[in-house]
Amino acid sequence: MNVQRISAIFEKDMKDFMRNITMLMMPSISIILALVYNGMGIGGGEDEYLIFTIYVIVGVTFSAVTSVCMVTMMAEEKEKKTLRGLMLSPASFVDIITGKSLVTGLITFITLVISLLIIGFEPLLNVRAMLGLILMFLFFLMLGIGIGLFAKSVAAASAYSMPVMFLFGFTPMIELFGLGEDSIAIHIAGVFPIMQAVELHDTNSWLPLGIIAIWVIAAALFTYICFKKTRTDD
Amino acid sequence: MAHFIIDQEMINSESLPSFSLTIDDSYATTIYSDTDMQAELVKVLRENAGIPIFDQQEGLYNRLTVENNITFFHKWFGCRTPIPEILVLFDLHSCAKKPLYKCSESEIRRVYFAKYFMSGVSPMVFREPIHGVDIRTINTFINMLQKIKEDSIPVLVLVSNMEHALLLGDAAYKLHDNGLHPVEVDEEENASEPDSPDAPATTNLFKIPAKVDDKMILFDPPEIDYIESQDGKAMIVINDESYAMDSTLSEIEKKLEIYGFYRCHRSYIVNLQKVREIITWSKNTYSLRIDNKIQSTIPLSRTKIQDIQEKFSLK
Repeated sequence: MNVQRISAIFEKDMKDFMRNITMLMMPSISIILALVYNGMGIGGGEDEYLIFTIYVIVGVTFSAVTSVCMVTMMAEEKEKKTLRGLMLSPASFVDIITGKSLVTGLITFITLVISLLIIGFEPLLNVRAMLGLILMFLFFLMLGIGIGLFAKSVAAASAYSMPVMFLFGFTPMIELFGLGEDSIAIHIAGVFPIMQAVELHDTNSWLPLGIIAIWVIAAALFTYICFKKTRTDD
Repeated sequence: MAHFIIDQEMINSESLPSFSLTIDDSYATTIYSDTDMQAELVKVLRENAGIPIFDQQEGLYNRLTVENNITFFHKWFGCRTPIPEILVLFDLHSCAKKPLYKCSESEIRRVYFAKYFMSGVSPMVFREPIHGVDIRTINTFINMLQKIKEDSIPVLVLVSNMEHALLLGDAAYKLHDNGLHPVEVDEEENASEPDSPDAPATTNLFKIPAKVDDKMILFDPPEIDYIESQDGKAMIVINDESYAMDSTLSEIEKKLEIYGFYRCHRSYIVNLQKVREIITWSKNTYSLRIDNKIQSTIPLSRTKIQDIQEKFSLK
C-alpha cells in the first residue's frame, strides 16, 4: 500500500467522475426516487411504510451508486487499457482498487445523505442500523470490485450489474409482486441483506447483523476468487 | 554507468537471428528493421526479458485535461521533476487545459512521452516514437532522449524507417535475417562502398535506368526526388515509390552531379532542385525536406551542412 499512489488514483478518479455523464446519472437515480416518494407523502411522518421506503432507497443507492460506479470505473480502465504501464507490481493493483473504493465511498455517502435528508432518517439513528448500513456498503462494494475484475468492457459491465441491482438492490420490491405470504421467493428474499436490515428494526436480536456479515464475507470471497483469476490470466 | 545487454539467451526465438547487443547509457541506440521483425523483437523483450515497451498502445484518460493526466502520472510514478518543468519540456503548456479528446495526435504523443519519461523505468525501449507526428514533437522527443541520457538510463528505439533511425540514434543498427549490423554514420566520404571498374564510362547520360520486375524503366534526372542505398543497393525514390537501380551510389553520384544532385549523406543522394526545407534539429543534426507528395525527409550529414549552404548561397 502506497499512500501517494492511492491519493493519485483518488484525485484522478474524482476529476474523471465529474466529467463522466454516465456515472453522474447514477446518484441522481436514488435522489429522484427519494423526491418521488416524498411527493407521494410517504416520508417525514411516522408512516408505517417509512422504514420500507428508506430501505428501498438505501438499496437503490448501494446497488446503483456503489456497485455500478465501481464496476464501470474498473471496466473502463480495462477496456481502454489505461492500466498498462502503471501496474509495475501486484501491490499497485491493490492501490488502484483502494483509491477507487475511496471515490465510490465518498460519492455513496453524499448520495445517501442527500436522499435520506429528503425522505427522513430518524429510524436509522441507532448503532445497529448504522452498523447494518456500513456492512451493506462493504457488501455492495466488494460485489462491485468482483464484477469489475472480470468484466472486460463497459458494455459487459452494465449487463453484469443489472441482475445485481434487481436481486440485491430492489429486494424490498419483491413483496409488491403480490406473491403469497409463504411463497418460496419471499422466503429466499427474506435472507437477502436489505431485508435483514429491515428486520433489524422489528426485533431486538443481533441475528440480522450476523446474516449481513455472512453476506459480506461471501462477497469478499467472491472478490478474492475473481482477483486470483485475473492475476493468473495476465 | 548503467547498461543493458540483449543476448542470444534472451532472444531464443526462431524468427529472429541470434545477436547480442550492449546498450550503453551514454548514447541512444536505434534498431532499424522491418515491422515483422520489430514485432518479434518487441515480443521477445516483453516476454523473455520482462521489459516494458513504450509503444503508445495503451490508453490515456481522454476526459481529463492534459494537465490532469500529467499530474496523475507525476504523482503515481513519484517523479521528482516539478510538473511545470515537465509541461515545458514536452511543450504541453499551451494545451495544458485542453481535454485529451480535443487534442491533436502530436499533442497526445507528447503526453505519452511525458508519461514514459516520468515512469523512470530503466532501460527504456520505445517503439516507433516519432511515426506520423509533426516536427515540434520530434524535437521534444530528441530533447527527451538527451534528458534520459543525462539521467544515465539506457535507451533503445525501435523504428522501421531508416531516416528515423539515423536521426534519433547515436548508434544505429540494422536488424535483418543475417543478424544485427551497425549502420555506419561516419562522416568520412564513402568508406566502404566498392567502386566497380566496369561501370559505364559515359558522362553523357540523360536517363537513369531502373528495373521493375522484368521491365527496364528510364527516368529523367529532374523527376527523381532522391536516391537512397538500401542493403547496398541504390533505390530511386519518386514520391512514395522506389525503384531498384543496378549501379551503386558512388557511381551514380558522379554522373548526376551535373544535374544538380548532391551526396548529402553516406547512403543518400538528393536532387537539390527538390529540396524544400533544411530542418535543424537539436544537437546539430539536420534533415532535408523534399518537395514531393509525401514530404519525405532525408538525413543530412553534419559535415555536409557547410557545403549545402554554399550550394544554396546561404552563406
